[in-house]
Amino acid sequence: MSDVYTEAVERLSRVNGVRGALLVDAEAGLPVTSELAEGVSGTAVAALASSLFRRTAQASDAAGYGRLATMQLEADEGHVIAVDAGELIIVVIAARDAQLGLVRLEAHRAAESLA
Amino acid sequence: MRRTDLPLLVEALKVPMLTFVRESRVRIALLVNGAGQVLAQHGFTRSYEVMNVASLAAATHSSARALAELTAAPRWEHLYHGGKDRQLFLAPLRTPVEELIVVAIFDADSSLGIVQLFYEQLEKEIAALPEFRVTYEGTDQANFERDLEAGLEYLSPDQ
Repeated sequence: MSDVYTEAVERLSRVNGVRGALLVDAEAGLPVTSELAEGVSGTAVAALASSLFRRTAQASDAAGYGRLATMQLEADEGHVIAVDAGELIIVVIAARDAQLGLVRLEAHRAAESLA
Repeated sequence: MRRTDLPLLVEALKVPMLTFVRESRVRIALLVNGAGQVLAQHGFTRSYEVMNVASLAAATHSSARALAELTAAPRWEHLYHGGKDRQLFLAPLRTPVEELIVVAIFDADSSLGIVQLFYEQLEKEIAALPEFRVTYEGTDQANFERDLEAGLEYLSPDQ
């Protein structure tokens, strides 16, 4: 199973503009496996992104929109994308000029492969 | 180490501890020194609960450290217990002069990753406090209870 995790993260990190990809334990907020550019703190990103994802999922539920599939955060220098994968959350850190459509597509493919 | 400047210390720890509680969203937090003196607490409603947890935390810390030494581990990082509703995080917090102990109890509103992240920040903030750059006398078994109660005098929720 760990090979599937590693493969998913490696495939994501090969997409142009992606600076890091992580599989995060959704409940504990801890990284399961990751591929990160130098200077990116995997533990911090895992903890904060999973916390944000869970909060956003609660907001979505409260608004009556149901299950949250994807959360996309836009910042000055780039994007953080989190995708629901059951007990895991796929987190991708992408540069501002990354092909977001492709990043999202790969993230959803990864989520399907892990289901 | 037994601290004789407890009121100053308790005051200095208020902001970092409050930040830790707010950011990590823990329900209960306790900061104790190796002598069992309670330096900061959040979320307790009764002083005897603080005393019990402080004593147990100090004992657990000693046991974990001894276990680490027995297994040739250089140090122990943290203890974690994931209960059905509540989770417990217990970790040594290093400062330039002494090792403190953090106990945090949290529920599904937080996560182990978040608690760990803000615990690291708490450790940095406390280690940078001028109050933790002066060495103090140690304590012994006979004085442990006295030190524990001295800490509670400043922090008791019953007062």
